[in-house]
Formats: sequence, C-alpha cells, structure tokens
Amino acid sequence: MSASNANQPHGLPPRWLHKLLVWFHPEETIEEVEGDLNELYVYWYKRSGKRQATMRYLLNVVSVLPPFVKRRQRKQEYRTTSNIQPVMIRNYFTIAFRNLKRQKVSTSINIVGLAIGLATCLLIFLYIENELSYDRYNAKADRIVRVAINLRLNGEDVDEPTLGPSVAQDLINEYPEIQEVTRIRNQGSRFVSYGTTAFKEDYILYSDSTFFQVFSIPFLKGNPKTALKEPNTLVITEEIARKYFGKADPMGKSLGFGSSKTPYRITGVVSKVPENSHFRFDMLASLAGSEEAKKIGWLNSMNFYTYLVLPEKYDYRQLEPKISRLAEKYIGSEIQKYLGISAKQFRDKGDDFGIFLQPLTDIHLNSPFQGRELSPPGDIRYVYILTSIAVFMLLIACVNFMNLSTATAARRAREVGVRKALGSAKGQLQQQFLIESILMSVIALIVGLLIVGLTLSPFNQLTGKMLSLDVLISPLVATSLVACTLLVGALAGSYPAFYLSSFKPVLVLKGQKTTRRDGLNLRSGLVVFQFFITITLIIATVTADRQLRYMQAQKVGFDREQVLVIHDTYMLQKNESVFREKLLQYPQVISGSISGDVPVGASSVDNGAVMTKENPDKGVVSRRYRVDYEYISTLGMRMVQGRNFSKSFSSDSSAVVLNETAVKALGWQKNPIGQELIGSIEGDGTKKYYRVIGVVSDFHFQSLREKIAPLVMFLGNNSGNILVKTRTNDLPKLLTSLKQQWNSFASAAPFTYSFLDDRFEQVYLSEQKIGQVLMLFSGLTIFIACLGLFGLATYTAEQRTKEIGVRKVLGASVSSIIALLSAHFLKLVLIALALASPIAWYAMNQWLKDFAYRIEVEWWIFALAGLSALGITLLTVSFQAIKAALLNPVKSLRSE
Amino acid sequence: MRRTYLGEFEEVVLLMVAILDGEAYGVTVSQALEEHTGRVVTFGTVHNTLIRLEEKGFVGSELGGATNERGGRRKRLFHVTALGNRALQEIQQLRKQLWQLMPPTKLRLSGL
Repeated sequence: MSASNANQPHGLPPRWLHKLLVWFHPEETIEEVEGDLNELYVYWYKRSGKRQATMRYLLNVVSVLPPFVKRRQRKQEYRTTSNIQPVMIRNYFTIAFRNLKRQKVSTSINIVGLAIGLATCLLIFLYIENELSYDRYNAKADRIVRVAINLRLNGEDVDEPTLGPSVAQDLINEYPEIQEVTRIRNQGSRFVSYGTTAFKEDYILYSDSTFFQVFSIPFLKGNPKTALKEPNTLVITEEIARKYFGKADPMGKSLGFGSSKTPYRITGVVSKVPENSHFRFDMLASLAGSEEAKKIGWLNSMNFYTYLVLPEKYDYRQLEPKISRLAEKYIGSEIQKYLGISAKQFRDKGDDFGIFLQPLTDIHLNSPFQGRELSPPGDIRYVYILTSIAVFMLLIACVNFMNLSTATAARRAREVGVRKALGSAKGQLQQQFLIESILMSVIALIVGLLIVGLTLSPFNQLTGKMLSLDVLISPLVATSLVACTLLVGALAGSYPAFYLSSFKPVLVLKGQKTTRRDGLNLRSGLVVFQFFITITLIIATVTADRQLRYMQAQKVGFDREQVLVIHDTYMLQKNESVFREKLLQYPQVISGSISGDVPVGASSVDNGAVMTKENPDKGVVSRRYRVDYEYISTLGMRMVQGRNFSKSFSSDSSAVVLNETAVKALGWQKNPIGQELIGSIEGDGTKKYYRVIGVVSDFHFQSLREKIAPLVMFLGNNSGNILVKTRTNDLPKLLTSLKQQWNSFASAAPFTYSFLDDRFEQVYLSEQKIGQVLMLFSGLTIFIACLGLFGLATYTAEQRTKEIGVRKVLGASVSSIIALLSAHFLKLVLIALALASPIAWYAMNQWLKDFAYRIEVEWWIFALAGLSALGITLLTVSFQAIKAALLNPVKSLRSE
Repeated sequence: MRRTYLGEFEEVVLLMVAILDGEAYGVTVSQALEEHTGRVVTFGTVHNTLIRLEEKGFVGSELGGATNERGGRRKRLFHVTALGNRALQEIQQLRKQLWQLMPPTKLRLSGL
C-alpha cells in the first residue's frame, strides 16, 4: 500500500480506521465498500481538507459497520454447506485437544491462570454474597428500620444507634402507620447456672415481647406471640437447650442469671440465629421486668436499639421528618431539664440533635456506628475493593490468554493456511479458535471449582465467616457461572480468533512471517495493563500493612505488657478484695487493682456529660471510669500534674483524675488542679461536685481508629475484673497457682484471664483480616501476571533463537543478550509504574482518611513497589533469557 | 397497485441509478444525491439501500472497473432492471393521475 501512496497526492485514510472497516465489515461486500470509501476520502480531501475528510471517513465507516450495515445475500451457488457441521466440530475438538497436549507450557499457564482467576472470583463472590445477604432472611426485611440519633455536643459529633427507653412507646402512640415496634438491650455477658453447672454466656440480649413479630427467627417450641410477655421469661436456642438440659425438655425450667441466680423461666426454644444477622443471641430475655425499660426519656438511659415495622411500599424517608418533629418536643424538654437551656439556645451555641432512620438491610454494611453495633459490622468499601479485585483478576487472566494465543499464533499459521487453501471460510476458523478457548475455559472452571473446594475452609478461617458452596448449587447461580465462564472463554478467545483467521494463506504457506508489529504493540499494551494493576495492588497492600503495624505499635499511654486481666472477679462477691489481697502476697505480683473498666476491648462502657462549675450548661461528653487507689499505678499511667488517689486523703471520695483531653475540653489548660466539676445530676436535679486532683497523660482506651476522648476517673468500688501487674519469667506457673487460689473460693465461675496486649490485638482483628485477605489476593494477582509474563518471555526467546545465534557467532556476550531480551519488558513495567503511582497514591490517601492516627503515604512505598515489580519481571524474564543466551549457536543455526 | 412497496429514499436512489446510466456505483450515487437533492447521507445508507433494491429486483449489479484511486479494488456497478423501470414508470403514472384529481382551488391556494 505504501508503494501506491507515492502516486496518491492526497494520501490514504487513517490506518486504524481502515483496519476497523476491514475487521468488522461483512466479507461479501468489503472490496467494493473499501474502494468506494477510499475514493470518497480522496474526494473529500480535495474538497475540504484532511480534518474534514477524516471526520467524514470515520462517520461513514461507522455507518457501514454492524449493526448498521445490511448484508448482501450470497447467491446460492457460492454456499452449499452451512458453517456448522457436526463433522467439523468434532474435528475442532480433536485438533483442540491435540494442540493443548502439544503446547504443554502455554496450555498449563493458561489453564492455571484462568483457574486461579475463576477460583478467586468465586471465593470473592461467596464472600460478597454473604455480606450482602445480611438480615435479608427476615420476612419483613424491607420494612424494618432502626431509630438512631445524631448528637452534637460542644462541637463533637456523638451519633448513637441506641436511644432512651420510651422512644418506642412514644412513636407507636403517635404514628398509626408504624405497625410494630421492638427494643433490644445488650447487657454484655453473664454467668448462667442450672443446678450446679454454670457457664459464661456472651450472647444474651433483652427484648420486648414483640421481638418475634419483627424478626423472623423460627420457633421450635413455645408460642412466639406470648413467649416474652411476662417478666423473667427467656427464649433460648436449640444449642443452648442441649448444653444445659441435654435431651430433657427445657420448657418451663428456669436458669439462674448472675451471682444472685435470678431465675428466668424458659418459654420458648428457637433455632440458631442465622450467621448473616446483625445481632446474635443464644438467649433472649424479656424486658418486661426491667426497671430501666420503663423509664421515661429519649436521651436518658440511651441503651435501647429501637426497631420499627412500616407498612408495605412505605418509604421510610416519609417518616423521618415526622419523627424529627416529635424528637424536637421530647429531646427539647430533656435538654431543658438536664442542661437548663432551651433547644434553641442549645442549637445557638453550635450544638445539635436529630433523629434518623436506618433501613435494616443497611445496618451491616453501611453503619456509621462501628463499635456500638450488636455485632461487628462489615464495610461496604471492602465489598467494592474485593469486587474490583475479582474483576481485575479475571481481566488479567483473560489478558494472559490473549497474549499467549496471539504469541503462539505463528506456530499455527501453517494450519490456518492449509485450512483456508482447502476451502475453510474465515467464519469457520473463528469458530474453531473460539471453541478451543471456550474448551480451555471450561477446563479452567473445573480446576477452579476444585481449588475453591480445597481452599474454602482456610478462607473461612481467614475471614471468620461460615461460607459454604451451597449458594453455587442454586440454578440461577450455577447457570450464570457457566455463562460467565463461556463468556470469559469467548472474550479471551475473540482476539486470537480474529487475528488467526485473518492470515493470508499464500503468505503463511510460503513460510513468510505474519506481520509482527501490531501484535507486539497490543501485547505490550496488555502487559502494561497487567503490571499497572499489579503495582497498584502492591502499593495498596504495603500501605495497609504499614498502617496496621503503626496502629499496633503506637504508644498507648499505659503499660500493656505484663498486665494480666482476671475476668469476672465480681462472681466472688465479697471475696473479691480478699482475693486481691491474696494475689498481692505473691512475689511475682507487683500490684493489683479491682475495676470493671479495662482499656481497649470488650468492657462495660459508661459515657456521660460532665460540666465545669462555672459553666453548668456546657456539657462535655466523657468516658467515666470508676477506679481504686492502685488502678493508675498498676496500668503504669503517667501523672502529668497533681497526684493519684490516695488513702491518706479522706476527701478523695469526691475527687477526680482527668486525662489531658478532658482538661482541654473543659478549658482548664492553665491550672486544672483544684478546679471543680459537676460529675452527675440526680433525678431530682441536685448536682454532685468533684474536685480535680490530678491529670494523667492521654492513653488510648479505645481503638486507634477513634480519637482519644475525654476521660474522668472517679474513686469508687467497681467490681468486675482484677488487673494484675506481674514480674515473672515463668507465667504458666504463676497462672496455675492463681487458678488454684481462685478455685479455693469455690466460685461458680471458672478462672479466666487475658493479657492486656492480647486484648489490644483483638481490636484490630477486622483490619488484620482484611489486610491478610488483601495480601492473599494481591499475591495471587502478581502470580497470575508473572505466569503471563513467563509465557510471553518464553515465546520471545523462542522467536529470536536464530537472531541470538547470529549475535553470539558475531561475538555478543551472554549478558548483553540477556539485557537485549529483558530491556523491552523492563520498559513496559516502568510505564506501568508511572501510570499506577498517582492512582494508588490517591486511593490510599482516601482510605487513610478514616483513621484518627495514621501514617503518611511515603515515596519509598512506590519505589518499593516499582522495584519489586522490576525484580519479579527480571526473575521471570531472565530465566528464559539466560536459557536462550546460553544455547549453543551451532544448534540454533543448524536448522537453516 | 404496485406489487412491491418502494420507499421515498429508495425511489430517489433508484432514479439516480437510472440517471447515471451504467456509471452508477456507491460513490457516484452518493455524489449525485448530494448534487441533485442537496441531501447529505452517510455512505452506509446508500449502500444499504442499493442492496435492498437489488434484493427486491429493481436493480442488478456486477463487479468491475478497478482504478488506481481505489487502490486497485473493483467497483460494484448498478443498472436498473426491467422491473425497476416499470416500477419507476408506475410511480410516475400514479402521481400524474393524482395531480389531475387535485381541485383547482387547492392549486391556487398553495401558490401554484
């Protein structure tokens, strides 16, 4: 074509547009249309110049592409057989299997890559399916909403999913459209005893009798309508029934709660609460007898999760403004009562409150209340991240497939030539190659399913889920899985099919190389794409990992090593302090403190507002700890100012120790010691004053995701746990003797303990898990990308065997040949690095924004990612390059 | 009544093929269209219409006449068949009859 270009004063239409036309225009009319459009191009060029001509050419090319173009019907004499012949299809399969067998390396690379890609997608699908299915098992799932509150106090947002006890009643009285309402109260774990056996039960919830009208938990025994009507009644799960009563019928029997063994009568047995539920209970007790549940207030005793059932097809957003008006009335009057100012004044000083509704199905993935949910929520962003990983993984596997098929096309050029010479049409050849790739993808699916089957249980351990393959058996999922696989096969096979079937028989049979430049460019693009994704994932993984390490290594402000927490010492009742005294007699024990408040991890939480004496209407929401004299020293906290509680000051019963944040929030930066604050307000409005005697340096008592909040420590009896600071090299021995000591008190509860640093780790479990999952998947992605690269390098080396032979004969060194073969790939990886860095940088900064204490995204992470990508490339490529370079030129040149 | 329905655009293209008298192929038809009617249509439209006319039997075609301008590719030259000729004449006839039925006042109103 370039020869005729010289006689053409006005040139030819753009190559790529021409290519587009040749590829997609129906075969029957391509010659005349190609000619006509060329002629028109020249005509336009003369009339209106190059730009116009190109524009019009583009438009007109599109107008003759499918689906716009009409096909000329072939005259019958040309075509006597249909494209689809059973004999030929059988032949395709035979040839396909022979080819797969002959090209073992590329076949296995393709199948392994695709199988891993498919397996990952399946695992991620199972995971996401589970995440999205939360709470949908409820018959009324779409109609249930939860009431939550936005509060802004002193410029600080305190949103809560829980509200006061009377919200439920007030709402159902006011709005007839609310069909049902129920409350859940979580009171933490308890000891439950039956006769002489006692267990600590972690999953006890309290609820109204309407619970089972709202949530669909199937009853095995008892009546769901009346089960929780009476005070001190209890519904248990099947599992618990077996645990306490064995085969006996639990109905009507009683279990004792807590150290006082308050009897709760069993009125129902339900099956296990589904795993994909935003709450979990083993026992559900009635709220009917609870004094707290009868209290009046929206802000008072904010401990109740309140759920409403709305009518069908009712948009909950209609209800929101109505509830807000009611909230204005009730919360307004409570603010008046507690803070002595009106709602308007409250808002004027920059504070605010508002009620909002959360659809039940949003709670698991879209909850803003991380740690205050009934069970740890998921995160919609991880769903997105995993979905994109799955898609990318599959894309990379497809890309590998395309790359290898086109690269190895030369080997099959002769076959294409022979087939065409014998009368095979382009369509038939396309069919053949598509069948081959679909066959490959089906094999990959089978291998992939095997991989999923084998890895599901470790994956479950990693993610802490109970995923099963049951979902895959449903007809919809199974068919879409097969359809998806066929699509992947067709997608990956389409380019090679078009490419291979377009070979000109005369050229390939003469032994001429098919044009290599285009193929190479496309392949290079695909390699860049793969490494773009790989590098992005490496950067993301490294950053996430560093952030986790950073959070765990943060100075927490207290001594978390060698501090032992002995749980549930309140079960010893009066002997709790006796037990502590006994502990102190051990030489390995430095100090011991009794307190229910333990920093980090599961612990009872008491948040409340404190006010300065001067400014009684300015409440500062703070965490309140009740501690004894030894608490601060046992935890190794540092006093910044003033002193610790001391037995020598009898006035310390009305003294407090603050943390630095609380000092700042109360506005006492200058001289906190000796100031007075209002620690609590009784129901009748009398205020209780406390004097500040000391300030401790800030320490993290929550997860590092959250900022350190103000903390006020009161002196008081707070039985719960005993914290012990130890000094020993032989912990097991100490623990055994502590256990003996415990048993000598004959408590109903067993001896349980944890270490403060372990509790700390627990808090980051979800981040750790997601970090590991990310690490796993990005590792797999890198692996698949390397597989592709390996295949490509093998092919390039093979292609250039003769060239390398000639170079060696002429005196090239081994290293220069390795450099020659690797340089191209290295360049591609560098391009990918340049593309990936800004995108990864932006994405990681977005992710880090959520953490109150976070690392910076530093340049060396990018360098590391780039270097490791380069290293991986070099390793994969140079293996082949060295092999090729070391080959004896006599061998490679002999065949000529 | 006509045996085969002929659309407005089809009719114009068929006329162009008749006018070009043996020189009709994709390029000349679209250029003539633009020149005589001022209509600028995509090449695909012309291409599709020609194929449709051939399917209906109004035009016939053969390949031939490669020129250097076309990179040595042959053209598909179209000619009007007897059926096409008859169809054009029938349309002409029908129009004429219909015009004669038009009341004279109407003609005046529309400014003729």
